[in-house]
Amino acid sequence: MKKFPLGSWLIIFVGFTYFFLPLIGTLDFSLRILKDQITLDAYANVINAPRFQNTFTYSFTMALWTIAACTLLVAPTAYWVHLKLPHLRPIIEFITLLTFVVPAILLVFGLIRIYSRPPLSLMESEIGSDFLLVMGYVSLTLPFMYRAVDNGLRAIDVRTLTEAAQSLGAGWRTILFSVIFPNLRAALLSGAFLTFATVIGEFTIATFLARPAFGPYMANLGQTRPYESTALTMISLALTWISIGMIQLLGRGAQGQIAGTR
Amino acid sequence: MFDGVSLEWLPQSTAIEFFGIKFSLPFTIDFKSNSIISAYTLSLQLSVTTALIGGIFGFLLAYAAILGGLPRSVRTALLTFSGVASNFAGVPLAFAFIATLGRLGFVTVLIKNVTEQLTGTPFDLYQTGFSVFGYVSLTLTYVYFQFPLMVLIIAPALDGLKKEWREASENLGASGWQYWRLVAFPVLLPSILGTMILLFSNAFGAVATAYALTGGNFALVTILIFRQIRGEVLQNPGLGYAVAVGMIFIMAGSLAIYYWLQRKSERWLKQ
Amino acid sequence: MSFLELYNVRKTFGQTDAVRAFNLQVERGEFISFLGPSGCGKTTTLRMIAGFELPTSGKISLNGNDITYKPPQKRNTGMVFQSYALFPNMTVADNIGFGLKIAGEPKSAIQKRVDEMLALIKMNQFGHRYPYQLSGGQQQRVALARAIAIRPQVLLLDEPLSALDAKIRVSLRQEIRSIQQKLGITTIYVTHDQEEALSLSDRVVVMNDGRIEQVGTPFEIYNFPTTEFTAQFVGTLNTIQATVRDAALGALIVANQEITTSQKLEGLQNGDAHSIAIRPERISFAADGKKPNVLNVRIETITFLGSIVRIQVSAGENIFYMDTFNNPFLSLPKIGDLVEVTFSKEAVLVLKNE
Repeated sequence: MKKFPLGSWLIIFVGFTYFFLPLIGTLDFSLRILKDQITLDAYANVINAPRFQNTFTYSFTMALWTIAACTLLVAPTAYWVHLKLPHLRPIIEFITLLTFVVPAILLVFGLIRIYSRPPLSLMESEIGSDFLLVMGYVSLTLPFMYRAVDNGLRAIDVRTLTEAAQSLGAGWRTILFSVIFPNLRAALLSGAFLTFATVIGEFTIATFLARPAFGPYMANLGQTRPYESTALTMISLALTWISIGMIQLLGRGAQGQIAGTR
Repeated sequence: MFDGVSLEWLPQSTAIEFFGIKFSLPFTIDFKSNSIISAYTLSLQLSVTTALIGGIFGFLLAYAAILGGLPRSVRTALLTFSGVASNFAGVPLAFAFIATLGRLGFVTVLIKNVTEQLTGTPFDLYQTGFSVFGYVSLTLTYVYFQFPLMVLIIAPALDGLKKEWREASENLGASGWQYWRLVAFPVLLPSILGTMILLFSNAFGAVATAYALTGGNFALVTILIFRQIRGEVLQNPGLGYAVAVGMIFIMAGSLAIYYWLQRKSERWLKQ
Repeated sequence: MSFLELYNVRKTFGQTDAVRAFNLQVERGEFISFLGPSGCGKTTTLRMIAGFELPTSGKISLNGNDITYKPPQKRNTGMVFQSYALFPNMTVADNIGFGLKIAGEPKSAIQKRVDEMLALIKMNQFGHRYPYQLSGGQQQRVALARAIAIRPQVLLLDEPLSALDAKIRVSLRQEIRSIQQKLGITTIYVTHDQEEALSLSDRVVVMNDGRIEQVGTPFEIYNFPTTEFTAQFVGTLNTIQATVRDAALGALIVANQEITTSQKLEGLQNGDAHSIAIRPERISFAADGKKPNVLNVRIETITFLGSIVRIQVSAGENIFYMDTFNNPFLSLPKIGDLVEVTFSKEAVLVLKNE
């Protein structure tokens, strides 16, 4: 029973090689902007470029809006469903699955169709487009935020906590903010990090809404400046890694999720 | 009329803001168009292939890390890396593959150097007709985010295999292989198939990766829609809708099958 | 040579000794319980017999064959798990027939045997059901049938009733015992519930901290416990502090009063302090008839338990219980009363020092 699991190690080796090879390739490429030298110049160029800072800030801001909108939408809904309307749970789960099934490209297709002409010509204005962008992102990350919060609620036996709080005289605001949300902190933060990782890299929606986001910037850079774009790729990877790392830390075994662009 | 597609279509306003699509019958689609059929064929081919490869490879990895007798740290590492890899899709992934398998890419050059050292003649990947912008490379790129997704989703199912089942089967005389064939694999099958369906629809709906890798030249269904919206093709609204409708059917169909398989496995495993 | 023998079996996990120097001989057809608290090593020992753990040292033999290191598939033992462990993707009939299918028996023989088993557990119409459609008790019966179907030499049960409701537990354990007796299968039954162990077994092995405390019939274990642990674990037991007055005569002083025990006070000198033990049901009121030992006690509390009335009394520093049968016309003393209680010499148990 204690024999050396050669087959297992072999597969793991292949898997990790597959995983790391492109990353090494990217890193290698990004360091070679000056012929035959290893320098970090590509990174310097990228980080100092004003467009980098602008688009990154823009996407970061959009991410924050998305997180806020998502949380406000999901948390109270999930809580209410858990508490009062448990029979609605499968329906809500189905709805969240729906948004997963409609990929970004179809979403954009429909958005443009509806919002590029009167009466709902949101795309005419910048604010309108920003709004659409955030809504698009919310729809993309909704299933995962909901699932995270749902799992979090399941783990803390919402009903009993609420009843206990009520019997001690707490009103709804107190219950929500002092009892429920603190216990959901891990779940909400996990969702937030996932949203962040998704929004930063998102390409499709931002491109079509012609917004100055990070994803399209990266793609455009690839046309003209290969070295800088691979440096950017490494930066994006680092951000993703940190986000996932935070989720692991917070979730302690939360299921993997993916959202957004592919 | 373009390429034999005609479409009559009644737009409806949306009920929910960010679900921009709501179709209503009647409309007719005439799918005699070559370009549409070839786009679907290509997309289906790519999606099925990467779902199968990613699914099988991901399953083997998850099995090795969870049930294969390896230390616990391997499992944690695998799950973390899978989380990163599956979220790495899109533009950055495409660039990473170009940097790795391009004409001057890391692996291309590595292969040249190693084969030169070993046999005296360098082996140039590109002489075989391979290109980082081609079908094989696209497949490899897609698999990169497919197999981690399989790992992440199938890991809890593997955890759910009760140790007692294995012991009971051994107690009744079964070998490890028989246990897998008669108990574990049948129990896991709905989950595995369901996840592969998920992988399929995941690949089918992907666009950013392919676009960033091939510059929009690869005629996938999603790229077709992309080009439509961009106005890069001779303007024909019918084409876009036709393709989009087909896509919705495929995605919805996949979802339905996935759902059915989930219910089945949940029923069996309910204690 | 007995049918199943464990000789000096030891199991160590890392630094911990889970099972120490386990010696046991089981006759063919015997029903043996391993009884003890969680962590005492009873399940580990069972799993070593099944082959899921390998002993660190020692020998296990079954029907003359050394099975110590044999893989579980080759041992022909039948195991029933606490969590039933029925294969969820198979029907009841397929579950029961699984072992026979693996052994390569022809379909007709398998069908016949499965029908036999279904009749045995009285679930004839359930062959086509799936485990998720069964209750806990039904699943466990199927698990039992599955283990017996392969005609095992030993039947091993690992706390099979712990996951079930109280009522089902009682009826199912009787069923298990009657099936076992009918078929004459040698059986090892692991439990932490003494009622189960006492009511089902031919012999009980009381275990604690990896060691065997005592082996004996239920009657012996209960009435003549040889270690303090056994005495306290099985049934309720009063422990009383006494001083030896005369070791040769078995005379002891409790709360300045003298009592006598019929047991030997080995290795004790006059004046030594030692614990003695008495079962609550062996103490009665002196007014109802005097026995050799008499103690003056004070009534502390009276608890009505249904068929039994449990009275807490005190003698000096000692507080202990006496049980008396409930009788509607019983006149019980009041709290604070001083009464005389009595018990025989044999009722005073002298326990081995640890």
